[in-house]
Amino acid sequence: MTAVTLDEIGLKEFTLESLPRLKELRTQYFSRQPEICIERARYVTQYLREHDDSAHSPELRQAKKVEYFLRHKSARFHDRNLIAGNTTSKALGAPLFPEFFALTLWPELETVSDRKKNPQKLTASEASELNLEIFPFWMDKNVLEVTRSQFDNPECLQLFEKLVFFIAAKAGCISHAVPTYTSMLQYGLSGLIKKAAEYEEELAGVTDADAEQKADFFRAVQISLQGIIVHAEHLAEEAKELATVADDPKDAAEFTAMAAVCRSVPVGPATTFREAVNAIWICQVGIHAENINMAMSPGRLDQILYPYYKQDIAEGRLDIGRAMELVGCLWLKIADNVTMVPEASEELFGGAGTVPAITLGGVGKDGEDAVNDLTYIMLRATELLGIRDPNVNARYDYEKNSQDYCRRVSEVILNTKSVPAFFNDKANITALCGQGERLEHARDYAVIGCVELASSGRDYPASSSIMMNLAAALEMALFGGKRPITGEEQIGPATPDPSELRSFEEFWKIFKIQLDWLIEQAITLNEYMGAVHQEMMPSPLLSALFIGPMDKGVDLIRGGALYNSSGATHIAFADVVDSLSAIEQTVFIEKKYTFNDVLEQVRGNFSGQKGVKMRLYLKNHTPKYGTEAVIARKNAHNMIQHLFEKYQSHTNYRGGPYHPSYWTMTNHAGLGGISGALPHGRKAGEVFSSGITPVSGAAPELTACLNAVAELGGECVPGCWALNIKYTPESDVAIMAERFAQTIEAYFRAGGQQVQFNIMTYEMLLDAKKHPEKYPELMVRVSGYSAYFKDLNEMMKDELITRTQYGLDDGRVVPLPPEAKRRH
Amino acid sequence: MFEGIGQELTEKLLADFRKCFDSELAEEFLQTLLTLMKVAFIVNHDYRRNIDTFNGRYQFCSEDGEVTIGVIFGNGRMKVVEDSIDAPHITVTFRDGRTLLNFIISPRQDILGSMLKHDVRTEGNLNYLYKFGFMAKQLQLMMPQVG
Repeated sequence: MTAVTLDEIGLKEFTLESLPRLKELRTQYFSRQPEICIERARYVTQYLREHDDSAHSPELRQAKKVEYFLRHKSARFHDRNLIAGNTTSKALGAPLFPEFFALTLWPELETVSDRKKNPQKLTASEASELNLEIFPFWMDKNVLEVTRSQFDNPECLQLFEKLVFFIAAKAGCISHAVPTYTSMLQYGLSGLIKKAAEYEEELAGVTDADAEQKADFFRAVQISLQGIIVHAEHLAEEAKELATVADDPKDAAEFTAMAAVCRSVPVGPATTFREAVNAIWICQVGIHAENINMAMSPGRLDQILYPYYKQDIAEGRLDIGRAMELVGCLWLKIADNVTMVPEASEELFGGAGTVPAITLGGVGKDGEDAVNDLTYIMLRATELLGIRDPNVNARYDYEKNSQDYCRRVSEVILNTKSVPAFFNDKANITALCGQGERLEHARDYAVIGCVELASSGRDYPASSSIMMNLAAALEMALFGGKRPITGEEQIGPATPDPSELRSFEEFWKIFKIQLDWLIEQAITLNEYMGAVHQEMMPSPLLSALFIGPMDKGVDLIRGGALYNSSGATHIAFADVVDSLSAIEQTVFIEKKYTFNDVLEQVRGNFSGQKGVKMRLYLKNHTPKYGTEAVIARKNAHNMIQHLFEKYQSHTNYRGGPYHPSYWTMTNHAGLGGISGALPHGRKAGEVFSSGITPVSGAAPELTACLNAVAELGGECVPGCWALNIKYTPESDVAIMAERFAQTIEAYFRAGGQQVQFNIMTYEMLLDAKKHPEKYPELMVRVSGYSAYFKDLNEMMKDELITRTQYGLDDGRVVPLPPEAKRRH
Repeated sequence: MFEGIGQELTEKLLADFRKCFDSELAEEFLQTLLTLMKVAFIVNHDYRRNIDTFNGRYQFCSEDGEVTIGVIFGNGRMKVVEDSIDAPHITVTFRDGRTLLNFIISPRQDILGSMLKHDVRTEGNLNYLYKFGFMAKQLQLMMPQVG
């Protein structure tokens, strides 16, 4: 039976005009320039320099470090948001984590405030403190350098540092997790501390090493959670102080109410919707004291918060407008931080948010429709605010969820032009069950960061551990283990010259040799870095908000969670599949060109008359992924299957499997920009296709495109994928929403796992590039996450402009205008 | 900014340094930078604070083998040797002076871009490079601006 009681699920009576607080906060949000916050870097450095005891266990050292920071963290109220607490000391802050890549900011300490692209403010005194006090301490102490020294600068690390083969994300984070807040809301942090203390007490007197380690873990949990409680007390004190000095009695009353909330939660159980919302947010702040702000995802908030909402509505303490105001305030709090991106990294990561994902709808643990009134309130808040973070995602079970729900999500996408993304419950639950997850756990999955899946609070998935450049493996197969960009250096195994091969199967075998070699290197480095994380970055605070660690007495970083996967995503999937198909078709089936001919033109970037002619043929007359072409479908399937089998043959340092996935952030643009020509007619420097999306212009029929992608879904893609589709906007949103919903359902029934949209035209994006001032709030889907178009680098903007645009009415590709063609 | 006897020399070196950006002296960028850095440490107290307690060993090599320079920071001093040094914290191998200039400094610092294009290769602790980049950037900001 449905839990939906709303008369009108669109909640159209609630607007920014009727919710002036949200309107005001939203305006402030868009007017803020990010500021670098050095507070955490300052206090963790101070702690390690003056108070750390290396004789303690890693868990205890980490807990004390985090507690020290939280005790010193400033308690500020920057605006009229109803939720207390901030990730950083700034209204829109970029925190620095010296354990990871903070030192990359060093060269631009004096220029970051004024740089042309995405400036981040930093005061002169803070820059000086970083230069003279903080950064020098970390010279040889961040994850990358500890890995280098501990493992004697291994080959896999040197390969990673070339940046063009794979990215080992553990040098920058693990984060990427969905905790569970149910116990925290039910018992309060004091209840969780009490439980940890009891477990510790039970171990008193047991002297074996395992018991000591467990006792240390429980002690670490108590210390780190106490840090959150102290910070909440500081927030309460500050709110009380602001109440006493406020001129307006209304403001004073609001601060008094916030002080009361912070005194009640998260230390104690939440008793109201407002307390539950603020308790979750303060815990999110605590999580960011321990782990870097990258895809720390609150999860299924429409499910977790629903009992509090329902109770408050029933008892007359809350109405829909107030609930929406609180949800909107929470969304804006979640958006209060950005990543510190050095100018040098703009090419690869420019414009990325911190991607904290919220997951709505779908089915519950019992397999039944879980959509409720709060789902629609959260959808409306998302629609009204239209902000980049949080990354809102809608789960959809086409058998259990109503078509009204599907249409409403579609309508929100059409109105925001890009959010939320759609996730297929059937395919994703199947994928997680294929990894040994219990059915009720798989049904409780939430999205992490871009698109990755995890059973809420049960799976610690390190989902962005590896980003593998498939084009690197292809080039290495073409050139005997070398890449044009790295010159004559022998990188991978010296495989035979392809011109000597007699069949495509032989080339496929060579490709797999190079690919597998790269994967082995990436996994080896991931395991090394995992071991370093176990010593440097345990997560006792986050562990307390998971199912598993408290029962096992084991930190998440040592395998304490119920499920312990690692994720590996892939860049240039479509380009590589199309290249393989082009080789198979033209060299081995048609024999139109010899392999030597193709290699010669690839080396020469298809220059000269002969090159142009061959390029046109390869682009226009070879099988393309995203169509019904049999060869392309076979090669796409084989690639997915091989990657799945390869990763699954490994077990990670926490005892879990590797999950392949297909999302690319902005790396497909950055890595495409520096890669050579490929055999499907792509010229050197052209961007790769994003996520699992077919190459731009290669798939002219929408239905065939969706079917070709969908048939790859299910068990072999447990980490999920990002499929980008661009639709021409239509004037009648209701009719378009109907068609939109029908397309989604058909795609999901065919097995598609995820899809995300940009509802915009080539011309609009060209104009937005030319006149950014006209589109300050234009939000686009990149590959998994959303970004403001104006913040993206030039290559990424061009990639978005030239993405295939379909008309939803006829499912046909809309031809690229001449101006966009020039960028293609 | 610079006082006393070092002023004239520093201004001349800063002017030479600026010319590197106009490409006429790009090939001599490293030598100019290191000379300027050395003088700046002597004459500028604030700038010297960068190396008061810093120990770092840098090896710079050109791909063609023409340039091999070691830079050693220690005891608040900077020493330059035109040779290989033992146990550098980081070794930077560059294609030519222009690529090194783009890599380390400006007009738009492009450490990642240079590495992606393999104009410059590094081996060792990148944090030392970031610190060096900061010190070079400070000098760049001291350069006389063209009116």
